[in-house]
Amino acid sequence: MLSPNRLILIMIFLVVFDFFIWGLILFEPVNKNLQVYFLDVGQGDSELVILPNGPKVLIDGGPNNKVINELASVLRPTDRYIDLILLSHPQTDHFTGLIDVLKRYQVGVFIFNGRSGTVDSWSKLIKVIKENKIPAVVLAAGDKIHYLNSQFNFLLPDKNFIESTDLNETTLVSLLQSQNSKILFTGDIDAKIEDYLIRKYDLDIDVLKVSHHGSKFSSGEKFLSNISPKIAVIEVGKNSYGHPTKEVLKNLASVGAQIFRTDKDGTIKLLINNQGISIFKKK
Amino acid sequence: MRIYDIAFYIAGFFILGVLAASSGLNFIIIIMATILMAAIFLFIGYLRKIPRIFWLTGLCLFIIIGAFYYFWWNSYQIKNLNIIFDEKINFQGLVVKNPEQGNQQKLVVTFQPPYSGKVLIKLRSYPSFDYGDLINFEGIIKRPDSQSYAAYLAKDSIFGIVDYPKTELIAKNQGSVIKSQLFKLKEKLISNFQKTLSAEKSAFLAGITLGERTEFSQEFKEAMAKSGTTHLVALSGYNITIIVLVIAAFFSRFLSRKITFVLTILAIFGFVLMTGAEASVVRAAIMGFIALLASQVSRLYSIRNAIVLAAFFMVLVNPRVLYFDVGFQLSFAALLGIVYLGPAIQKFFRIKEEGGFLGWRKNFLTTTSAQLAVAPLLIINFNQFSLTALIANILILEVIPPTMFLGFLLGAMGFFSTALAIILSWFINLFLVYELTLINVFAKISLPITKIGISGIIIYYLIMVGFIVYNYRNVKS
Repeated sequence: MLSPNRLILIMIFLVVFDFFIWGLILFEPVNKNLQVYFLDVGQGDSELVILPNGPKVLIDGGPNNKVINELASVLRPTDRYIDLILLSHPQTDHFTGLIDVLKRYQVGVFIFNGRSGTVDSWSKLIKVIKENKIPAVVLAAGDKIHYLNSQFNFLLPDKNFIESTDLNETTLVSLLQSQNSKILFTGDIDAKIEDYLIRKYDLDIDVLKVSHHGSKFSSGEKFLSNISPKIAVIEVGKNSYGHPTKEVLKNLASVGAQIFRTDKDGTIKLLINNQGISIFKKK
Repeated sequence: MRIYDIAFYIAGFFILGVLAASSGLNFIIIIMATILMAAIFLFIGYLRKIPRIFWLTGLCLFIIIGAFYYFWWNSYQIKNLNIIFDEKINFQGLVVKNPEQGNQQKLVVTFQPPYSGKVLIKLRSYPSFDYGDLINFEGIIKRPDSQSYAAYLAKDSIFGIVDYPKTELIAKNQGSVIKSQLFKLKEKLISNFQKTLSAEKSAFLAGITLGERTEFSQEFKEAMAKSGTTHLVALSGYNITIIVLVIAAFFSRFLSRKITFVLTILAIFGFVLMTGAEASVVRAAIMGFIALLASQVSRLYSIRNAIVLAAFFMVLVNPRVLYFDVGFQLSFAALLGIVYLGPAIQKFFRIKEEGGFLGWRKNFLTTTSAQLAVAPLLIINFNQFSLTALIANILILEVIPPTMFLGFLLGAMGFFSTALAIILSWFINLFLVYELTLINVFAKISLPITKIGISGIIIYYLIMVGFIVYNYRNVKS
């Protein structure tokens, strides 16, 4: 029934496939390190956290579908699952890219602050979440997510800010503790919220996702000297606001933080283990 | 003269008339030239006493009918146009094609009264609109910037462009129910690709199976152009063949031949509608239909007549495709190359009949003849023809049919289980990695030819026709 040529093709195919599967099983690297990627998505935020032993957490998705190519360059092509998506706050430069992520990846849980976006694309995001039957969970200050020795602590928003008319003030601020390091994800909070944050918590961190793409209304001196980041990453692209501003760069330098920015360095990867933090730049 | 010959010449002369008219010749000149041609036929027929030639004299009338049809069709289009240009106006429009989504949306809308005609509307990605949406717009309708762009749009009877107007949705689902369901199906199939494959691969797979090109990155488009592989993502006979084979194989097990035939035809028709009816797929569908019909009514299938009839029907529906639709020209040129140039090359170089490993000889002949036939068109239209394209295409086309087949299977599997679809996607991944790697490699080692004059083209095709005729003569003697 089958011609010899076809048979040869099928045999080759099966052998290659067999090797492929065994390769997946035997050589799957069990990752003991914490990896944090600050994805270069232009003027917007998107960070991918891969916890020790593998769970993936995507924080924000940037302003467009650039995030898809960034994810493709980080994740294996056969890897189609993202455990958690965290949306800091419902503004377009943070969530638009998530629409495509949710269409293309299977996602465990969608986590957000409970506030609705005011732009047209927000309804599209909600539609995609519903269509794909992804559970949506609202978290706020005081909530925690544990996985083995890693944990996300959610510091804000609390009841004082969740109903703010300025959506930036409703940012779901999270502190990741893993491999003896502390990483603070600040979304777009401004100096007022930053000061509130240091009044409420005693923070001494290693890595800071600089708030609001380096806007001059964020990253106040007092806040920075209080949390004393060793590494500061600015997620920023071409923009007309002057982000990142000179003031912010100066403030960060004055507390001794090593500064990285996605517009100049491309996607930035932090590899963190008990020995310390290694930094890789794409550009 | 037999009836199928008469049909062939009627269709052929009609097309010739349309071609003459659309190339800008005056109606009077066309009539004069036709009369002259008829006179020559009459004279030769009289000298040689061949009834066939007398027939041709009479059939020349269809050249004039073709030209007349083109002029009438054009004036009919323009008469039914009511557009106000360069002035801010409010108008209602119905989205009549599946919108192109991406970092920008492109809608084709037909005006609602008091205006009439079609325009292209460019919008931001959100809010996103669908086929069948009735929308209120506020904006300025402009004429296309360049003449070539205007001609390209006019081919689809689009005469104006609106950049970023204000929009307000009035009603949804005002279009054809069948079309909107088909578009939803297509969207779902593509989403099944996207769920299981990385962005670049799912985009390419959507391109070769469904002709969807909106997800391609600029770099990838350039890589395909440079390597001479853009045609892979134009739908063709391959797609139709696979659909016919799968549908027929499936239904003929438990349904009668007649019902299977009807279902297959419906599937082809549905596929053409779903993919937006681009010229190459319409061409393949008509020819597939003729082939199926021939076997259904137990008649011989004449490829010559099928080609001309397909062109005739397409020109009848829209006479502008002949001169202004590059896709139409490429599709027919490639097919003519495969059908006539292929066997000539085979005879001339004494290439064996047997396919060889994976049928490489057959693929080599098909690819070579198609590429040689379209080369001048590619050079004048896109400034792109790479000498290395031939090798790239032979290497890639080898695996396109299985990729396509697995692609359709993957799309279908996605409806049942994403997990199973993901396993299937690993197989396709192998093919896609191979194809994409070759495209990118050959984009780097392309040897482009970019200049060829109109006389160059004429000489090129004359040599080609001479070569074909020479080889056919040899066979006969």
